[in-house]
Amino acid sequence: MEMCKAAINDAQITPTPHTERQIIEAAQRGDKQAYRQLYRLHTGKVFALCYRLTADRGMAEDATQEVFIQLWQKLNNFSGQSKFSTWLHSVTANITLSYMRKQKSWFRRMVNFEESAAMQDVSPRCTSEIDLEALILRLPERARVVFVLHAIEGYRHEEIGQMMKMAAGTSKAQFHRAKQLLKVWMGYDDEAI
Amino acid sequence: MTMKPFEQYLKQKLDALPTERQPENDLWPGIDLALHAEKPHSAFSKPQRWLASAAALIVAVGLGWVLQPLWHTQNDVALNGEALVQALSQQHEQNKTTLLVSLKDTPALTNNWEEQLTELEEAAEAIKTALKEDPDNTALLRMLQSVYQQQFLLIERVHAPKWQKI
Repeated sequence: MEMCKAAINDAQITPTPHTERQIIEAAQRGDKQAYRQLYRLHTGKVFALCYRLTADRGMAEDATQEVFIQLWQKLNNFSGQSKFSTWLHSVTANITLSYMRKQKSWFRRMVNFEESAAMQDVSPRCTSEIDLEALILRLPERARVVFVLHAIEGYRHEEIGQMMKMAAGTSKAQFHRAKQLLKVWMGYDDEAI
Repeated sequence: MTMKPFEQYLKQKLDALPTERQPENDLWPGIDLALHAEKPHSAFSKPQRWLASAAALIVAVGLGWVLQPLWHTQNDVALNGEALVQALSQQHEQNKTTLLVSLKDTPALTNNWEEQLTELEEAAEAIKTALKEDPDNTALLRMLQSVYQQQFLLIERVHAPKWQKI
C-alpha cells in the first residue's frame, strides 16, 4: 500500500480513547490543530470507505476532503454517546453518497459505469490469488455501494434504503446481484448461493 | 447451519480486508484552505473568532501569491458559484494569453502541444457546462481549476529551454 509522508507520520499516532476524546473536545471548541490531529487519526478509514464507495481514487480523495470540510461544521453534533469512529463512518457514508449523486450526472456523460466493458471482463483466477478489494471496485455502482455498506460496514438493508433513497427490497436485490457477480468472478459459479 | 464454501470463503476474505487505506496526496492543505473560507466554527467564542479571523488573514496573505488561483476558488465558493466560475475563467484566459504572448518567440519542444491544449480546453468547457447545473459544486470547481493548471503546465513545459529537461 502506498503511503504519503503525512500518512507515515499519522501511523505513529496511537492515542488512547481518553486522548482521542480530548482531541475531539478541543476540535469541537474550534481548535484547528486538534482538528488536524483528528484528520490524521481518521483519514485512512475515511478514505478507505470513500474509495470502496466511489471505486475511483480521485473521486475518493475529493470525497474525503468534502467529508473533512463538512465534518468541521458537524462536529458539535457528536454527543459522545457512540464511538467517534462509528459516528464518523456514518457521516462519511452519507456525505460520500451525496457527493456521488452530484457527480453522477456529469460523469455518466463521460463513462457509462454500469455497462463498462472492464466490469464485464473479469476472468476467474486461482482462488488463492483473488483480490476481493479489486473485485468490489469492479462491481456496478449500486451493487457495489450496497455490498460495501452491508457486508463491510454492517448497515441493515432498511438503513441502506434510506441512505440511497430506495426500498429495502431493492437494497437486498442489489446485494444479491453483487454476491452473484463476486461468486462468478471468484470461480464459484457452479455453486448455488 | 454449516456455511457454504463460497459464503465461508467470502467471509474470510471480507475479514481480511484492510480497515485503512491512505490517499496518494496530502489532502489537508485543501481542507485547511476550505475551512478558512467557511464561516467561523459555531463553537468559537468572540475572542477565538477574532483570533481565527486574524490567523486566516495572515495565512491568506502569506499564501496569496503562491496559491492565488486556489485561494480565490475556495474563498469565492461561499459567495457565488456562477460568478466564481466566470471570474476564474476570465482570469485564466487573461493569464494564458499573457503567458502565450511572452513565449511566442520560444520554440516549442513538441509539435502536438496545441492539440493537447485544445483537448484540455474542451475538458474545461465540459466541466463549465456541468457547473451551470450545479454552480456551487466544489469538486467540479476543483476539477476546473485543475484543468486550467494543466493548461499552464503544458504551455510552460513545451516552451521550457532544453537544458531544463531531465
